[in-house]
Amino acid sequence: MLGWANRSKYIQLVYTLNLICKERKSRDRAKIAEKMLLAVLFTNSDGNILIERFHGVPAEERLHWRSFLVKLGADNLKGAKNEELFVASHKSVYIIYTVIGDVFVYVIGKDEYDELALAEVIFTITSTIKDVCGKAPTERLFLDKYGRICLSLDEIVWTGMLENTDKDRVRRMIRLKPPSDI
Amino acid sequence: MASGQESGSTTLMDLITADPSSVPPNVTPGTAASTLGKPPVADRKTKKSTLMQIQSDTISAAKALNPIKTNAMPQRRKKTPVSYAQLARSIHELAATSDQKNSQKQLVHQVFPKLAVYNSVDPSLAPSLLMLHQQCEDRSVLRYVYYYLARILSDNSSQGLSGGGGIPTPNWDALADIDAGGGVTRADVVPRISEQLVLEASNSDPEVHARRLAALKALTFVSPSNSEILTKLYEIVFGILEKVAETKQKRKKGIFGRQGGDRESIIQSNLQYASISALRRLPLDPGNPAFLHRAIQGVSFSDPIAVRHSLAIISDLAARDPYSVAMSLGKLASPGGALQDVLHLHDVLARVSLARLCHTLSRARALDERPDIKAQFMALLYQLLLDPSDRVCFEAVFCVLGKFDNTERTEERAAGWFRLTREVLKLPEAPSVSSKENNTQSKDAPSKPKSDKPATRSKRPQPLIKLVMRRLESSFRSFSRPVLHVAARVVMEIGKSRAAAYALGANDMDEGAYLYSYADSVDATDVDRNDSSLSDGARNKALTAVASGRDSIASLLASLMEAVRTTVACECHYVRGMVIKALIWMQNPHESFEELEAIIACELSDLSWPSALLNDILLTMHARFKATPDMAVTLLEIARIFATKAPGKIDADVLQLLWKTCLVGAGPSGKHTALEAVTIVLDLPPPQPGTISGITSVDHVSASDPKSALALQRLVQAAVWFLGENANYAASEYAWESATPPGTALMMLDADKMVAAASSRNPTLAGALTRLQRCAFIGSWEVRIIAVQALTTIGIRSGEPFRLQIYEFLHALALGGNQSRFSEFQSSNGEDQGASGTGLGSLISPMLRILDELYLAQDELIKDIRTHDNAKQEWTDDELKRLYETHEKLLDYVSLFCFVPRAKYLPMGPISAKLIDVYRTRHNISESSGLNDPAVATGISDLVYQLKETPKKEQLYSIDPDLANAWAANLEDDFWSSNAPAMSRVNEFLAGAGTDAPDVEDENMVSRTSGTYEDMWAKTLLQSYEAEEDDVRSSGSSSPESTGSVETSISSHFGGMNYPSLFSSRPQQPQESRFGPATGSRSTYEGISSPVREEGPPSYSATMQRYGSFENPLARSGSQSFSSRDDESTSQKPRFGKALYDFTAGGDDELDLAAGEEVEIEDEVDGWFYVKKKRPGRDGKLAGLVPVLYVNV
Repeated sequence: MLGWANRSKYIQLVYTLNLICKERKSRDRAKIAEKMLLAVLFTNSDGNILIERFHGVPAEERLHWRSFLVKLGADNLKGAKNEELFVASHKSVYIIYTVIGDVFVYVIGKDEYDELALAEVIFTITSTIKDVCGKAPTERLFLDKYGRICLSLDEIVWTGMLENTDKDRVRRMIRLKPPSDI
Repeated sequence: MASGQESGSTTLMDLITADPSSVPPNVTPGTAASTLGKPPVADRKTKKSTLMQIQSDTISAAKALNPIKTNAMPQRRKKTPVSYAQLARSIHELAATSDQKNSQKQLVHQVFPKLAVYNSVDPSLAPSLLMLHQQCEDRSVLRYVYYYLARILSDNSSQGLSGGGGIPTPNWDALADIDAGGGVTRADVVPRISEQLVLEASNSDPEVHARRLAALKALTFVSPSNSEILTKLYEIVFGILEKVAETKQKRKKGIFGRQGGDRESIIQSNLQYASISALRRLPLDPGNPAFLHRAIQGVSFSDPIAVRHSLAIISDLAARDPYSVAMSLGKLASPGGALQDVLHLHDVLARVSLARLCHTLSRARALDERPDIKAQFMALLYQLLLDPSDRVCFEAVFCVLGKFDNTERTEERAAGWFRLTREVLKLPEAPSVSSKENNTQSKDAPSKPKSDKPATRSKRPQPLIKLVMRRLESSFRSFSRPVLHVAARVVMEIGKSRAAAYALGANDMDEGAYLYSYADSVDATDVDRNDSSLSDGARNKALTAVASGRDSIASLLASLMEAVRTTVACECHYVRGMVIKALIWMQNPHESFEELEAIIACELSDLSWPSALLNDILLTMHARFKATPDMAVTLLEIARIFATKAPGKIDADVLQLLWKTCLVGAGPSGKHTALEAVTIVLDLPPPQPGTISGITSVDHVSASDPKSALALQRLVQAAVWFLGENANYAASEYAWESATPPGTALMMLDADKMVAAASSRNPTLAGALTRLQRCAFIGSWEVRIIAVQALTTIGIRSGEPFRLQIYEFLHALALGGNQSRFSEFQSSNGEDQGASGTGLGSLISPMLRILDELYLAQDELIKDIRTHDNAKQEWTDDELKRLYETHEKLLDYVSLFCFVPRAKYLPMGPISAKLIDVYRTRHNISESSGLNDPAVATGISDLVYQLKETPKKEQLYSIDPDLANAWAANLEDDFWSSNAPAMSRVNEFLAGAGTDAPDVEDENMVSRTSGTYEDMWAKTLLQSYEAEEDDVRSSGSSSPESTGSVETSISSHFGGMNYPSLFSSRPQQPQESRFGPATGSRSTYEGISSPVREEGPPSYSATMQRYGSFENPLARSGSQSFSSRDDESTSQKPRFGKALYDFTAGGDDELDLAAGEEVEIEDEVDGWFYVKKKRPGRDGKLAGLVPVLYVNV
């Protein structure tokens, strides 16, 4: 039970929280216009983050997302089949995740990037990774190709929007060739 | 290759800097990066023999022990993790020699990949990167260069790119400031980078157009706040589009993607792609016709991604300015136009954007006078329903349903439901790309391109709903979890639209039909009227007439729901959660919900449900209730299942919110049942067999599982608090509205009989009392405290028999009667034995004192009246004043415990009403502020002769009892049920939309001097709920836990009295409306003396008449000033008080008190005094807040 003594403290707290809420709301309003692919995250099977790309997620929320996703993966992805798709949601945000080789891949999106669009994204990502690594990568292989994977990801997700979906095209782009060759 | 598993404990950099290409890494865990400056990868030789490997194995152990040794062995240096400083240095070095093959190779294979690991890139690298950018020819190197330049450009502190995981980098700008030597901040380099990139992007030489594309792309990473670069970017993009967009006619139809062609057109298409992509990243410029024009040109580009982007831009623009977009699209939308080609475009997101565009345009009011255009887009949208991709199809379904973003109104959703159920699909032709199933359906669809109105029914069209249902059912057969999830979501949206349609009813539907160009509103009303069973008959008839279909909507839905239910078997919780939400939404108020209940109960016994998801479902029920208030009881039942099955995972606040909404919204008939449903939580079924009844369940849970017991206890606390706060509302029983004067009832009846009679009169309240009483002596300490508080609240607010009943009960409890009387219950709870005797007793005593004071004052008043009566005395003004001050004092006391409407509450019973009114009227004391009103306190109001009349008050108590009775019974019922705007206001407030919702509350509460904290509470509560809801609906980007803190903060404070209760705002409003017209007729108490005479004691009327003779209060004001009153001088400022107990400050603005200390009371704020002390106490402060109860005034 809340004692008398705590009350004013408590009221203050609520006020502060309120301010935070308001602030976040206004920030969210600003963000609503862009229907974003909120994050792409790669971890290894131990939950160490290999690559992460956040778009339009405030820094203080990233930590929550990381732990949320890592927990999700630890709960569900152990022993899952390669590229079997898993789904989760939080409020109006959708999460699709999968495992490829030793690497767990998560994508988060909302609005336009709903479950199926994210499935499309993750399909592009996994097929590109397989293309880059030559097979479903072990963690070692993934790290060996780290640079190229980063570049590929850069071509697939460009400022929070899905860009190239074709793995051949991605391969051309990371070698700085134009999308359609001459 | 190594498995990599063993390296899990090392950092990413350790992993990646171990030998990347040839040898399995001998992991060197714990070895920090050697900071001895050496170029780490200076002359690396990859082609070493296997001999080397053996050697490396032998030396690796030593190396792990002593990293310095690695210096002596240059050929093995690559094994050491590389520090950022080393990478940076090597980039600088290699950039200088970038013309050599060797250094290029190193850059591409060694340095750049490792650099990618870091969070951000040091701006001081920029010069080297720019040098590479200018001099290097190697494509791979350049690609990396663009990558890093983009990362420097993007403002990674707020959003945009943030680099690869795990290795945080310092804030470079801050570092640069400290390091005066080579410090380069981002501000220094960004202009240079952008300048160089802009230059390159404007280079129209076809030889380097690949670099041009990359430069353009890198430029889009610039933060949107940098308007200078953005302007340049706009110029470049429009410049490119100027050149390349015009030749679109050359495009050969049906050829997409990479095709052979002449070099020029390929370059052109590449440039088209790059510029449109860049345009998509630029901020939207709605007013700019050039922007729109270029975007629309983009629809005809040959690159599918370019088409996707341009459609996305157009659909965004269309949301703002549908008219000009539609006009500009012009014939592109017509059959054979470019938009038709998009249907066959191999790009899902492009078609999704197309669906949204079509939806926006076909709904736009601005296009009302151009039905032909609307029809075109409608036809396109319906074609998208047949899309082979589920994503596109479901997007189209959402559009049909009226779910566009999260802001759509109920009418739109309702219209969506009718559209879905009544629309008949006619397709121009069977699309070439459609799934097998849909092919069979579209075969019999006649080709009538231009008609979208169901009025023009042709021979064999396809009912829309049938199509959607089949599609959904096939999706539910899928094994893919995302597909299941999305299908369940579609069903949920269908349910939402359906609920909206029901909620609106026929009248609104007519409007909807007009809005959305529906021809046969007759049909609509038909369907709507018998809403109970989805009107199989009428529906069926309509459909058979149209589509020769044998299926009614009900049967279609039934088979769909069957598919949905089987999906509960999915192993993924999120899919199941979505399915449950869908089921809740599809649940109709009139159907039996046993099946749903069974499903949920069965689901919840699974222990692995994430609590966020469960609370999400609770919020869904909340939303469901908002859509259909009839479902209150059903939903409360389901909520009860949640509370009992998974107490640990349910947020008490979410639950409470649901209760409250249901109670408020359930209407006059439903609220009794609603309260019942809430109270059932108190009788939670025991988790273990063997307990006698629900009473001891709390203790038994604690025996089995402490954690869930705690949670359950919290829920019970919440329920108890809720019950206390709202029982009076649900029972429509208020002391200030009770018609029978308590005094007379007391005298007439024996208390027990009276209680029995009352409980038969008001079973709701009696039931609540029984439950609370049981809670007050059973259960854990916290629950008991809250139960006692709840009882006091009810006692203060209720009319007489109940108050007496509570008083008796509390009395017994305080005396420790529970020990003896209820000892059989005590056996279960060890904790109680010690606490019940003393602790609870001392807690009860102030509450008992309040009630004591009330009764004492009542007795006193009756005695006084009798005395006056017998002696035929008149009430002197002094006597009246004393009476009034007692009244005020009691009001103050009472307000400490719970909210009562100050203007109406009569602590001394209804008989005091007239006397108090006499005094008030004479001294112009406004009811709401009482003696605390400064004008009253200083006596100014006495000088103002009859300036303002306060007639409402006496109207209230002078009307004849029957009328009062009727009014009291109907008061809030009227307000909530017949008053539709009020209901929708609640809905809005709960939806987070209504910041205007608390307005009513505010204007009533501001008038109370002691309302400040109350107000604050109301506001904070509303706002935080608003934020919460907002999160739910739109701002889903918030992270999983971040809102949790807010929710829990909202309160576990139901113990406090300051929670804004349901009725805190409510009763005043109807009073005004009810009595407003009457005020003119009777203005003063002379006018009402006759009814008073009838009902009051005879002596009383005599005094009343005497008051009638007071002509001029002004004359008396001098004599009656502040004569001889000592202890009741609450009216004067400053007031002085004495601390009763020690008080330790709990917050910054609070003040320590020692018992016996004298304080000066400056102000009172809802249960707190702002006091000043004569000398500073332990905390050294002179002034601050202390609880009212600690000070004896």
